[in-house]
Amino acid sequence: MKTPQVDSELIARLSNGDKSALYGLYDKYSAALYGVIIRMCRDGAQAEDLLQETFVKIWRNIDRYDPDKGKFYTWAYRIARNTTLNSFKGKDNLIQSGDLSVYKDKATEPEPNYLQLKGSLKKLEPHHQEAIALIYFKGYTHQEAHEKMGVPLGTFKSYVRQALKQLRKSYTNELVWLWFIFEMIA
Amino acid sequence: MMEKDKILKEGLLEQYILGSLSKEDTATIESILQNDIELKQQLDLLEADLERISFENAIEPPLNVKLALQSELEESQVKKTNWVPLFAAASLAVLFLLGSLWMYTQWQNAEQNLESLQDRTVNLQQRLENLEQNYQLTSNRLETINNPNVVPLVLYGNHIAPNAKAVAYVNHKNKLVLINPQGLPKLPRDKTYQMWSDVEGEMVNMGVVPTDEKLVVLKYIDHAESLNITIEPAGGNDHPTVEQLVSYVIL
Repeated sequence: MKTPQVDSELIARLSNGDKSALYGLYDKYSAALYGVIIRMCRDGAQAEDLLQETFVKIWRNIDRYDPDKGKFYTWAYRIARNTTLNSFKGKDNLIQSGDLSVYKDKATEPEPNYLQLKGSLKKLEPHHQEAIALIYFKGYTHQEAHEKMGVPLGTFKSYVRQALKQLRKSYTNELVWLWFIFEMIA
Repeated sequence: MMEKDKILKEGLLEQYILGSLSKEDTATIESILQNDIELKQQLDLLEADLERISFENAIEPPLNVKLALQSELEESQVKKTNWVPLFAAASLAVLFLLGSLWMYTQWQNAEQNLESLQDRTVNLQQRLENLEQNYQLTSNRLETINNPNVVPLVLYGNHIAPNAKAVAYVNHKNKLVLINPQGLPKLPRDKTYQMWSDVEGEMVNMGVVPTDEKLVVLKYIDHAESLNITIEPAGGNDHPTVEQLVSYVIL
């Protein structure tokens, strides 16, 4: 579990050019970000490059991060997502910006086992699961995702809301259990 | 309040988190979030959701990614620190260049000064030599003239040359005759003055007298009774043209 204070300390050191602070953030967040990137691009080697690029961007742009506007992870996630989406555009100049047709074709291929979603998402109903997967793990915008699912935009948005509500509920239950186990061990 | 309902209903916060909103919408949401605690709490929940599901679905990247990241950052830092000595070296090179240029111009100036000094020295030396020669000449003349054995004689012009005047210096002891012809009027190019000694009725040539010299040395003739000046064709004559006698003086 993360503690916000440690993050702010790492970020302060990072702003002063301390590379070890970046490696600290890498140790903490690289797996979460890699999970997002590799599900978007489905290519291990490319995902590795994109993860590295993401952290180089974090290193160079840390001054632009404003803690008042949100968590560090959200900011880093946005960088990872945009870096990955931009790499699709760069791959083929014929693809207009915002046109993810090639990417969508790829997304229709069966998903490898190791990329299947885990955790509390698994407990959601399939359409809720898909809605979350599309926007958070596959780089879709709401507009693109509702077209992909073939439901009206309003319906899609309520899928997302309901899915998140469900997730929070199951998570709270888990947290209670975790806290209980933690207390027992301690 | 309408804004807030719209934001919640339209799922704008979810899209804000993804970074998929337009710049204007992002700015609007951010300014509303600053003043709306309830909406900010909603955002915090959404951020926590994203982080949680990301962590639940985390996939450990291979170790080489971190190593590659580290080497990329070290490299970029090596490049960064390299600028300092490079800049210093460049500055030194520029300074050295400027210094050399300055020294070169100084050297060139010194060279020029030396040259002009040398020129002036040579010039002065020549003038000094000229002065010495002049002095020698003058002092020789003075010595020759200003001597107890010298008899100065003035030759006045006759009716042919009424304003003519020449001074002869005769030294019988050293057998020297000099004449200062400055007082004689200028002649046309094809004429010259010539001096003769009268020895027992016979005129003996002493030499031509050019008027552009200050002192002319002439031949000394023994037993001369008088000195005579005639006008003769340029280059001198063997015998005097007596009709053209300009002046004479008895010794």
